[in-house]
Amino acid sequence: MVWLMPIPALLAALWSRWLPGARWVTVLAALLGFALALVGAHNILHGQNLPTPQSWIGLDALGAVFALLTAFLGVTASLYSGPYIAHHLAHVADPRAGLRRYYVYFNLFLASLLAVPLMQQPALAWVTVELTTLFSIFLVGFDGSKPALEAAWKYAVITIMGATVAALGFFLLLWGLQRAGGGPQTFAALVQASPLMNPLLRKVAFALILFGFGSKIGLVPIHTWLPDAHSQAPTPVCALLSGIEVSLILYVVMRLLPVFIGIPGLHLEHWLSVIGLVSVGVAAFLLLQVHDYKRLFAYSTVEHMGILMTALGLGKIAAYPVVLQVLTHALTKSLAFYAAGIVLVITGTREISAVRGLLRKRPWTAALLLAAALAIAGAPPFAVFSSEFAILRAAAAGGDYVSLVLLATFIIIAFAGILIQGNHMVFGEPSPAVASAVHGPRGLQWVAVLALLPVLVLGLWMPAPLSQLLHAAARQLTGGLAP
Amino acid sequence: MTASVLLSLNTLVAVLFLLTAFMMISARQAQAVLYLYVGQGLLLAASTMLLAAHFASPELVIVAAITLLAKPIAIPLLINRLLSPALRRRRELSSVLGIPVALIIALLLAVVAYAVARPQVAGQDPAAATNLSIGLVVTLLGVFLLAIRREALPQLFALMTIDNGVFFAGIAITTSSALVEFAAALEGVMVVMIVALLARTIALTLGSTDTGEMTALRERERKP
Repeated sequence: MVWLMPIPALLAALWSRWLPGARWVTVLAALLGFALALVGAHNILHGQNLPTPQSWIGLDALGAVFALLTAFLGVTASLYSGPYIAHHLAHVADPRAGLRRYYVYFNLFLASLLAVPLMQQPALAWVTVELTTLFSIFLVGFDGSKPALEAAWKYAVITIMGATVAALGFFLLLWGLQRAGGGPQTFAALVQASPLMNPLLRKVAFALILFGFGSKIGLVPIHTWLPDAHSQAPTPVCALLSGIEVSLILYVVMRLLPVFIGIPGLHLEHWLSVIGLVSVGVAAFLLLQVHDYKRLFAYSTVEHMGILMTALGLGKIAAYPVVLQVLTHALTKSLAFYAAGIVLVITGTREISAVRGLLRKRPWTAALLLAAALAIAGAPPFAVFSSEFAILRAAAAGGDYVSLVLLATFIIIAFAGILIQGNHMVFGEPSPAVASAVHGPRGLQWVAVLALLPVLVLGLWMPAPLSQLLHAAARQLTGGLAP
Repeated sequence: MTASVLLSLNTLVAVLFLLTAFMMISARQAQAVLYLYVGQGLLLAASTMLLAAHFASPELVIVAAITLLAKPIAIPLLINRLLSPALRRRRELSSVLGIPVALIIALLLAVVAYAVARPQVAGQDPAAATNLSIGLVVTLLGVFLLAIRREALPQLFALMTIDNGVFFAGIAITTSSALVEFAAALEGVMVVMIVALLARTIALTLGSTDTGEMTALRERERKP
């Protein structure tokens, strides 16, 4: 039944095209999707309806973590969309047409995101990944302003290029599978057949997929489009893009890691570590000089993807921390964008330098922004602290001191960068933009509080079923990691 | 036709296909790039047809038919409709590198890529070996082309050149999964449609498709 997960959003997209009430239909569809994801996760914990090596669609433990996160972010983003988009389109000549366009693409985008973790065939996973890009292009350029169109163009050209190059890697793997005796073209069959494949073929496929999907994940040096696209889109879309879309691409790479592990002459773990550390380092220094607070959180996504890549390079010991980090990052990053979105709505500016002294004028918004900045920077007691700490501990336990020292240094620099900028916005005398701030829709703050809850709770206490699911996902992930 | 004639015809098509990628790098007019793309599509369809005969694969005949309809016919018509001002413009296309320099770099890239790819496919089916190595080289040249072009329209054609390169390799190695290629072909048309629409919106909003002039989004010194 889990295969139904993207269907409500798909129906909501059709509804939004022709019928009124798109706002609440979208929320309802997102809630249905979340309910289905919960059912899927429940089934996995009880060992029911697991995908067989033949099935082309299904949900396993690792996929369930991503599906749950996507569906949860879908709920908060759809709730946030209502007041945000209404406010955004308040001064447009024909707000109806704008609303219709927004909800059609939003629902299509959400449906494609929910489809990715369901796909058990690499070719289908590639197609759904490409669909997430195609549907989000118009959301990124939704504003129609010059910077939004610029961001949309860069996003389209670079990520479609990446996906196309990765497609060649997928073709090569499927060819290798066929020559190794065929079978169903699923991830499971691919992993099973990989020792029989020509190592050179696997190497070329690895290079193509790493370059291609690396550009979609936003790894340095092909990250330039990410801060543009992830900051120009309407805020709820930013939350989905930065919170889960890039992680879903990383998920497809994680599914393929067992195919690439143990290729003679290719130290997979070193590649992952080096690329990860370069991304974290570059992002950490860019965080110090960024001037737009939505870009600040977008760069933090580059940083977190780098942390995840580095952690994958640490090997089996870091499997659980990786899964935990995916979870905490998605929840926290969506919160960060929701908080930033409120500031944008009330002040009308994205410039960090123009926003000062929020605390005096708008204490609740200021508190939310400060909590979001602390949480995403990795301060205790928030959830990201626990996962980042777990990764660093795994590096220490595995004896990988180079990664440990570099990663810790970069995380501290990024922490400082985010907090310096956050401080500037929250404390001090109110700047003119803040002094003349308007009253935003109340609903936005409630959604941000809703998004803050799991960030706070999971930092202190992990419910047993969620912990079981994360451990099951981690066990599945260890198959692709170095010992 | 005998098998060897088929194979040598396919090699000829592959060489011409590679040539179109180089000519795209050296093209100075938007119209010329379009014609080259049409040629590329025809060659891709021809190679698919030859491989269909070589592997005796009915699925590949379908793929060839779709390719023939989509790449040299439907997509150029679509682009002509959506972006005709950009296509008609007689101004020289701007490029980050001068054409001679770009060609030399492209040649070096191609030689290196071919030298790396060729030994890996040695001993495989000869048709697969040809298509795989040429497809890889054209993909790489497409990425290079994308990096050096500054306007939306040639960037779009560079994207489609990458797509063609991937497809050229794909038809030789996934004979048993026409479904995958069918999906990829449809996907390709969709991608072109969406990117062309975006380029049109940019042209209408900004009055130019020179994406090299789009530099609003980058980190600059913070204003005091």
